[in-house]
Amino acid sequence: MSIEIKVPTLLYPFTKNQPTAEVAGNTVGECLQHLVEKFPALKTLLFDYQGALNHLIHVFINQVSAHPDPLTRPVKDGDKILLTMVIGGG
Amino acid sequence: MLTKEERERYERQILIPGFGEAGQEKLKKARVFIAGAGGLGSPVAIYLAAAGVGMLRIVDHDRVELSNLNRQILHWDENIGGSKTDSAAAKLKKINPYVKIEALAETITEESAPRLAAGFDVIVDAMDNLPTRYLLNRTAIEKKIPFIHGAVYGFEGRAMTIIPGQTACLNCIYHGAIPPREKFPVIGVTPAVIGCIQATEVIKYIVGIGELLTNRLLVYDGLKTTFTELEVSKDPNCKHCGRQPGK
Repeated sequence: MSIEIKVPTLLYPFTKNQPTAEVAGNTVGECLQHLVEKFPALKTLLFDYQGALNHLIHVFINQVSAHPDPLTRPVKDGDKILLTMVIGGG
Repeated sequence: MLTKEERERYERQILIPGFGEAGQEKLKKARVFIAGAGGLGSPVAIYLAAAGVGMLRIVDHDRVELSNLNRQILHWDENIGGSKTDSAAAKLKKINPYVKIEALAETITEESAPRLAAGFDVIVDAMDNLPTRYLLNRTAIEKKIPFIHGAVYGFEGRAMTIIPGQTACLNCIYHGAIPPREKFPVIGVTPAVIGCIQATEVIKYIVGIGELLTNRLLVYDGLKTTFTELEVSKDPNCKHCGRQPGK
C-alpha cells in the first residue's frame, strides 16, 4: 500500500525540502498521520490542537477535492494526495 | 459600433474565430473593476487595456516603493513615492487611449467594497492580502458579479473563476479564520503568468468564448513549470455562497 502525498511549497522547510512523500494508510487521515511520523514538525501545521485539519489546508485526491470531511476519505494503493495551502500574495 | 481606428487596432483579435467584431464591441462596452494595482493588477490592467475593455476601474491605496519594482510593471523608478493609481493611469492611457481609466486611491473596506463594485461586469482579485480577497469574494457573490481570483507566493500561483450562484467560490475552498496581511516572497514572473490568466478569463467571460476556469483551481508551479488543475465543487454550507450565506 503506497500513497504519494505532495505537500504545499510553504511546507517544504518542514519536509527537508522534499515535495512528496510515500506513506501508507486506508484513509487520508491515516496517511497524514504517517506523514507526521516521518516529519514531526508538520503536526502543528497540519492539525489544530483538537486534531482537526488546519482550515487553511485543502486536500485533493487524484486532483479532486476531498472535502467535506477529508480525513475520513478512503484511499487506495497508487492514489495521490495533494495538500494545498491558501496563499495571499498579489 | 467600432470606429475605423478601433477595427485596425484590434484587427488581430477580431480575426480569432468566435471573437469577431461582435466580441470586440462587447469588450468596448464592458466595465471591469481591478482590485489592486500591484503585481497581479499590473499585467491584468495592461492586457485588458490593450484588448480594448471599455472601462477599467483600478483601486489601490498604496504608494509606489522601490521594493515593488521587481514585479509591479506598471510602476517605474520615476514613480517611487507617488500613488500607484496615478502611475497606473498614466501608463494605461498611453497603452490605449480608447480605454476609459478610472484610478481610485482608496482602501477597499466592508463599507466601500459594495459601492466600488456596483455596476461592474467583472471583478478581478489582484489584491496582496487574504482579508480583502475574502471581502471581495463575498461582495462579488452578493452583487452577482463574476470574480476572477488570482494569488501568488514565490514561484507558485493560483487562479480560479467564480460565477456567483453557479460555481465554487474562494470560501468554498479555504474557510475559517483568515491570516492577516504579511510580507510574502515573490518574483515578478509569477504574477505575470497568473495575471495574464486572469485577464484571459475576463476577456473570455465578456466575449462569451471558450471555457471558463470554474470549479477548477489552477495551480502554477514556476519552479517545475507545471500547471495542475484541481477539481473543486460548491460547498452547500459555504458562508459566502451556500444555502444560508452568513451563517
